[in-house]
Amino acid sequence: MGNACNTITFNAAQCDGCGLCMTACAETKGSARIQVLPAEDKTYALSLCRQCGDPHCVSTCPTGALTKDVDTGVIAWNGDKCVDCLLCTVGCSYAGISLDAQTRRVVKCDTCDGAPACAAACPTKALRYVTTARIYNEVRDWEDLFAPGLSGCQGCNTELLMRHTMRRVGPDSVLATPPGCVPGMGSVGFNGLAGTKVPVFHPLLTNTAAMLAGVKRQYNRLGREVTAIAIAGDGGAADVGFQSLSGAAERGEQMLFMVIDNEGYMNTGMQRSGCTPFGAWTSTTPVGPESRGKSQDAKNLPLIMMQHRCAYVATASTAYMEDFYDKLDRAIQAAKTGFAYLHVYSPCTTGWRFPADQNMEVARKAVETNFVLLWEYTPGQGLRFTHAPDNPLPVTAYLKVMGRFRHLSPEQISHIQNKIEENSAFVTSLAQSAAAQA
Amino acid sequence: MNSASVAERPAPVSEKKPKYMLCEGNEAAALGVALARPDMVALYPITPQSSLVEHLAKLVADGRMDADVVEAEGEHSVLSVLQGATLAGGRTYTATCGPGLAFMFEPYFRTAGMRLPMVMTIVTRDGITPQSVWGGHQDAMTVREVGWVQIYCESVQEVLDTTVMAFKIAEHHDVMLPVNVCLDGNYLSYGSARIEMPEQAEVDAFMGGKDVNWHVALDPLRPMAVDPMTGNASGSGPATFVRYRKGQCRGMQNALKVIEEVHADWGRRIGRHYAPLVEEYRLDDADFALLTLGSMTGAAKDAVDEARAAGRRIGLIKIKTFSPFPIDALQRALRNVKALGVVDRSVAFRWNCGPMFQETLGVLYRLDRHLPAQSFIGGLAGADITVEHFHRVINDTEALMQQPERIYHEPVWLNEKD
Repeated sequence: MGNACNTITFNAAQCDGCGLCMTACAETKGSARIQVLPAEDKTYALSLCRQCGDPHCVSTCPTGALTKDVDTGVIAWNGDKCVDCLLCTVGCSYAGISLDAQTRRVVKCDTCDGAPACAAACPTKALRYVTTARIYNEVRDWEDLFAPGLSGCQGCNTELLMRHTMRRVGPDSVLATPPGCVPGMGSVGFNGLAGTKVPVFHPLLTNTAAMLAGVKRQYNRLGREVTAIAIAGDGGAADVGFQSLSGAAERGEQMLFMVIDNEGYMNTGMQRSGCTPFGAWTSTTPVGPESRGKSQDAKNLPLIMMQHRCAYVATASTAYMEDFYDKLDRAIQAAKTGFAYLHVYSPCTTGWRFPADQNMEVARKAVETNFVLLWEYTPGQGLRFTHAPDNPLPVTAYLKVMGRFRHLSPEQISHIQNKIEENSAFVTSLAQSAAAQA
Repeated sequence: MNSASVAERPAPVSEKKPKYMLCEGNEAAALGVALARPDMVALYPITPQSSLVEHLAKLVADGRMDADVVEAEGEHSVLSVLQGATLAGGRTYTATCGPGLAFMFEPYFRTAGMRLPMVMTIVTRDGITPQSVWGGHQDAMTVREVGWVQIYCESVQEVLDTTVMAFKIAEHHDVMLPVNVCLDGNYLSYGSARIEMPEQAEVDAFMGGKDVNWHVALDPLRPMAVDPMTGNASGSGPATFVRYRKGQCRGMQNALKVIEEVHADWGRRIGRHYAPLVEEYRLDDADFALLTLGSMTGAAKDAVDEARAAGRRIGLIKIKTFSPFPIDALQRALRNVKALGVVDRSVAFRWNCGPMFQETLGVLYRLDRHLPAQSFIGGLAGADITVEHFHRVINDTEALMQQPERIYHEPVWLNEKD
């Protein structure tokens, strides 16, 4: 299997045609290898080399002047071999390689050796340089510890989280998957067929952290190094299981407790939990003449866990896997000596009512609107943001991509927006206070 | 401690000097736990159990017991922590009572289902409303149908000895069930008496090796999915479930024999003998009998002795092992009895009687004759059941012999007018 490669991505919806990317490219390279062109309905289209996996430019070049680097993915142009036939420009569907009017030779993007000037110059983040390739390249060789074909809903990203997390944690572990979507997918298996290659169990919904604490302590007593990990839902962690979670955190039990927060009891029919946000439709906060969704705000579980002064606390999102992987590594380390808590926001295609192919986009919008804040905490360093949008979008950009908020009144939307500002200001003050003490 | 180190320990010395001490029942339980060398104890205080966990914490703090102590945030987590430890191969112990037992009901139910050989003392306490922190059997009786072995003690010495034996019973491969050692709140928990401490080496030899998770484990060296989902009725799920339940019932029935064997072994090695299931006291030529449970039995035996001195042909039956219910042993004990008075320290609401009386009715059905019986309920909320109370029980029960066809109707409430 070939390497995955970092790449420049373009989000047309965020491009306002300012052209700063072209200027930056021209200043760096002498002439612009990127073009932003007016398209239909006042949008813009991108003309830029995609560094294709099966590049037509390379295959049509008669002299071997174009070659693809299998490690970086970049298609390089060799001026010494090029005979200026321009066949490559005909072969490219993206106008990614073109004739430079001044030099009378072709030019194309080389990603500035992994630090593209265009993406750095883009004020709207329509252009981004995505560097998650290393994750794929590292992870692919680790053993997948789940059975193929887990029975999640179409488009659910929890399976992704389970597989990636356990690949990283590895086989010397004991996995707790309390009742919810994770065992619903078959982690503990059905009728005697196990879904996992490591020791796995259903705790009760209520006692996950306590059972894991007992497992881990006994292995400590035996002198064996075993990672105790829970992959739990928000209901079992924030509501009925909170006592055992809080108790284990207070005692500093050595474990990695990961909450996949889909903001409700989704496995059992999409009922409200303490993590369900204000205004959201659930099957127990329905919409009707006397009800407009949930009438209370969500409990901020990661902040509550931070107040336990756990060895490590972080929030994460599947739209930012690099960030997630960094935090997972730190959480695994922290779990060797204390309580590590990882809170992953996980959009639910079924319960939140959005198309199955939109999960990552919904997760991304949550972060871009500050509906979800990505941060990490250690007792020594305090809280710091790991990915904060410079110019957060209005919350409507998030609310409108799913059905569970479609009934909201302007007053409800403004309540949610106000709560976002309030929460953001509060967490920012924590980060500033930590930075001031550093 | 592994089994090899057990085998190397010296054999009991027959010419040893007995080691006596004065202690309360809760301390005797803690000393019994220490003798059994658990890997982990989880603690949460509740009256009248609290001094028991204090004694345990102190034993560990003083270096007299090598166990991991988990000061959990509630009884629910107490039992859950121990489930995890047992699944990882540890010998585990805790104690609770009353509301604590109610709060841990969810993992309590599951401990038996997973066949985890844990030992938990119930320092029995009456139920709430009105609020009562005093002794009574209502807590243990309420969970008698959940699949734990339940053994009741009569004396402080028996608390110590039975606590050690409980581990051996629980971990026996034919049983593999959790065991409750029940001792009466207030009367045994705080009642002090002289006890004789067994030698650690003798107890080690008695206990043998430890193998608590051979059947179910959370161990990366032998990965398995613990407690899988059973599918719906279209597949093999219900059949799997039936095997679990049937296995639990078989384990309970096996426990009857194992409890007898373990008590016999303890008697041989340590020199103290107890009737493991049902004790018969002055019963051989008795015309009528009392049936008792736990610490009340001392006063009951005194009353029986006095009645015997007055020429009345009365005997006593004490149940030690309440769960599994010792059906055959009780049936044997009732072979010549013509009237029976059953004294309970708790209430069976549905039958308007005591729970032990209700259970006994099932045994009476196995007799080929009608045996008139009366339910007496006493000792609720810490009330004392005195010798005088038992004389009333004896009088009422003797009177039953004049009414051989009498069918039970109402309980006698012993402490109602104290």
